[in-house]
Amino acid sequence: MQASRARLFKEYKEVQREKVADPDIQLVCDDSNIFKWTALIKGPSETPFEGGVFQLAFAVPEQYPLQPPQVRFLTKIFHPNVHFKTGEICLDILKNAWSPAWTLQSVCRAIIALMAHPEPDSPLNCDSGNLLRSGDLRGYYSMARMYTKLAAMPKKG
Amino acid sequence: MEQLNVNKNTSSSSSEDSNPCPICLGPIIQDSYLDKCFHKFCYNCILRWTKVVAHKQSCLPTSVKCPLCKTENLSIIHGYDGSSFQKHYINQDSGFILSKDHKYRLQCYYTEPGFLNDIFDVLRYWKSHKYLQPNRWLQSWLRREIQALMQEEDVDIIMHHIHGLIHSSLTRVSIIFVSELACLNPAFFRHEQKGQTKTPEAKQREFQESISDAARPFLAARTDRFVNEVELFLASGLNIEAYDAVCMQRLGWSAPGVTTEPTEGELAEHRPVIPYLYIFYESDCSD
Repeated sequence: MQASRARLFKEYKEVQREKVADPDIQLVCDDSNIFKWTALIKGPSETPFEGGVFQLAFAVPEQYPLQPPQVRFLTKIFHPNVHFKTGEICLDILKNAWSPAWTLQSVCRAIIALMAHPEPDSPLNCDSGNLLRSGDLRGYYSMARMYTKLAAMPKKG
Repeated sequence: MEQLNVNKNTSSSSSEDSNPCPICLGPIIQDSYLDKCFHKFCYNCILRWTKVVAHKQSCLPTSVKCPLCKTENLSIIHGYDGSSFQKHYINQDSGFILSKDHKYRLQCYYTEPGFLNDIFDVLRYWKSHKYLQPNRWLQSWLRREIQALMQEEDVDIIMHHIHGLIHSSLTRVSIIFVSELACLNPAFFRHEQKGQTKTPEAKQREFQESISDAARPFLAARTDRFVNEVELFLASGLNIEAYDAVCMQRLGWSAPGVTTEPTEGELAEHRPVIPYLYIFYESDCSD
């Protein structure tokens, strides 16, 4: 408990320092609870998520960093490895490939990389996975693009 | 203790910014390395991580993946001080958890040797033949010592082995000594045996050699210090609790925040507690 708190505090200080360095990630700690974080990540360029801003919710366990944080998308996203309803993310480093050397910041980077490189063979969103697996890139792209525009892009005017 | 503090301070100031522990992100405490990839962590951090990994698997793993580079490593190298180091094998029985007492004993091995030399005079032990008085707490003390150093619970075979050697080694010097005294014509024999009579220093050296030979296969680089600690404990003539109390008081661990260096008053208070056992051998021999 104390160890996780100390480590999260270190990460908090690091985030404050790095804010300028990584413009794609904005990590914010809950005002009253250091075990709750939210992140705003920018959709990677040359993907259907480009231009969108996606919100992630982190729930950090007391055994952190020996156990991974639980992360889910709060912003609706059409992606084979993200559950369309709950926002749950299927990513090995958040499950059995977790290492305590990961940080909340680097987890965000891993999620951005996952957005750019979906793994249709282990889908949480079967519709999205099937489009990719059947080679319908255009179908996948337009669906993903539509949801990005609907949910992740600030409305103009 | 002072030495320890100095080390901590320098390591924290140098490693906080440039090279923190990848697990706690703080300054590295008790530096330790994985044996293949040589990535560096706090000893407790990497140990806790290996236990978490082991817990997830059905059988005890023999290696651990480095959190940084995923290289499989067989052991954690720690406790190095320039001349020695310790290895914690991943597959070693992790069922034994060190108690508070074990940890305090291990901490003693991290301090500079000789911090008790002014309280317990080892040479006096040999000179004044205190070895004639057996220490009946020695077995329990040895067991705890070896448990702490090997981080194994079942050390009885090794303990009996070393205890047997200490016992026979002390008996040997006692017999030589008593037979020297038993001579009815001391003047004659003293003259005759002058070449054979052993100086206290020689007795001590012989004792040290036989114990370290016996202990080295098990305690490796910690052997010499272990022999010193055995001598200190024997020289103290105290039971375990009393010995621990003196040790902790000297190390300033009895209560956090207490000054490391005991004041003159405290020392004076403590001195009379230590019983110096004078052996009146004249009466012993006449029996």
